[in-house]
Amino acid sequence: MPRAIRGVLIQCEPAIKSIIVHLDSVNNDIIIEDLDEQTLVVKENMVQLLKQKLEDRLKETYRPEEPLADSD
Amino acid sequence: MSLGGQQLLEYLEKLPGTAFRRLYQSPATALAIFRRMLSHHAKVIVRGLLYMPDPFPLTSLDIWFPPESGGKIHRDRTIAALRSLHVLQVSPPGKDRTQEIQITTSFKKGLQLAFEGGGEDGSFGVPSSLPVDPTIDIGYLDKYARKKWDDILHYVVNSLGVQSSSEGVSGPKASVKELLLAGRLVERRPDTRTGIGITQAGFTFLLQESNAQVWTLLLLWLEAADHAADSGMDSIDMLSFLFMLSSLELGTAYDTSALTETRRNMLPSLVDFGLIYFPRDTRQFFPTRLATTLTSTASALRTVSSAFTAATANPSGEPGTTTSTSGGPAGATPADKTGTSKGIIIETNYRIYAYTTSPLQIAVLALFCQLNMRFPNMVSAALRAIGFGITADQIISYLHAHAHQQMVREATVTGKTVLPPTVVDQIRLWQLENERMQTTAGFLFKDFESTEEYAALSRYAEEIGVLVWKNDKRQLFFASKHEQLRDYLKSRKKGE
Repeated sequence: MPRAIRGVLIQCEPAIKSIIVHLDSVNNDIIIEDLDEQTLVVKENMVQLLKQKLEDRLKETYRPEEPLADSD
Repeated sequence: MSLGGQQLLEYLEKLPGTAFRRLYQSPATALAIFRRMLSHHAKVIVRGLLYMPDPFPLTSLDIWFPPESGGKIHRDRTIAALRSLHVLQVSPPGKDRTQEIQITTSFKKGLQLAFEGGGEDGSFGVPSSLPVDPTIDIGYLDKYARKKWDDILHYVVNSLGVQSSSEGVSGPKASVKELLLAGRLVERRPDTRTGIGITQAGFTFLLQESNAQVWTLLLLWLEAADHAADSGMDSIDMLSFLFMLSSLELGTAYDTSALTETRRNMLPSLVDFGLIYFPRDTRQFFPTRLATTLTSTASALRTVSSAFTAATANPSGEPGTTTSTSGGPAGATPADKTGTSKGIIIETNYRIYAYTTSPLQIAVLALFCQLNMRFPNMVSAALRAIGFGITADQIISYLHAHAHQQMVREATVTGKTVLPPTVVDQIRLWQLENERMQTTAGFLFKDFESTEEYAALSRYAEEIGVLVWKNDKRQLFFASKHEQLRDYLKSRKKGE
């Protein structure tokens, strides 16, 4: 009988994935299954936290352009 | 199917089979499911099979699904949807006989009763025989429901702390507030002015169309009743009552004494939501538009919000003659002719001019716009990058639904899209910048006994439309639902 494991599938760029793998390497409490370069399954209750951590990490290196300069 | 229907569907799919048998005992429920939850093809199948005495061979169904409309895959998905609602039974596959389908007994009985009339009295409500207060007409009920619902939305928006003139807003009842808290649409935050703060789910809630909002709240209510087992509330009976309410007629008084006691106990909560109007010291209740449109398909009837626009635009006129403002051709609504219509104008430089006086709409706009100037009848704003977990599609559909008649007319004349393409593209780009990953909740299937087992199950998952990702080499796949896959595996084991 095959097994069905509840989780959340994440599809992202390889760069983002490597950050997630890195975040997981601290406690090993995020990833359920590493599927391929752009896909992995993580625990359902960790998604919010993961998004938060990812955002913090990206802020260190990446600054989105301010989209609107008022042109009055 | 609209968003509200989608949420309801997800709730229903989690219910056990016995719950469905109880639900379908009420003809109103069977009819509501038939009207609201089934796709066009599913309806054709149900209508065709409803009065068939014997099971119908599955292969004969192929005639109804010509290859150009998707053929077999479309057929399998339709059947899977019908099975998940316990409307259809499919006999297990065997080597020596063909698979057969039939409508489940309970649904068949319920729907037949609904079509023919009959069964126990009062399944579609009992109109009150007592004299009715003539001041309670459809316009009055619309105004009442709108006030109640706006109060709830205001509570969610106000928790944001954006500028809001809350004159004449009394706020919802404590029970509703608790429900919003329990559903995590808002959360307690001691640092804000009101002591609560809005969550991501709350933003999603605000941008939904009214009908979906009502269902969100009602499903929270049902779930709360499930958790509080000692409250004497039965979520199945509650759901059944909601379906009954949706089949009632707007503007008619119904007799409360015809209801069971548990249902009478539900009335105060429904009053808090604005679904019914319950005059004091009478034994009558009036369903409002929020209740009677619960199970109507969004395409067949206009949305509650546009109904409200119509009701407020011409309070004395016939509110039942307007067409939907969202997507409908311009110039067709009376509101447009009278020139009182309000709307949002979007320019290609991301500027927004909103002709509105509603503090609620202004507060919603503030979620994704930088408000610059406010005039007595207009707000000037500029779009800004999205945050708070609002998706690009939500913003686009909101702007589309609330676009000014002038923009809609211009688009119809020139044959272009209503919203400037540059703006739509930019909103999507902002989302891509913020959302670095795509998430899908579901189940990972692994450790298959054989390649055949993997191949069969992943193919079946694809057929019923739940397959999200697969890797044939590693024999892994990810599906968004598992119930039917489990059943399929079981029947496959039996067949061996």
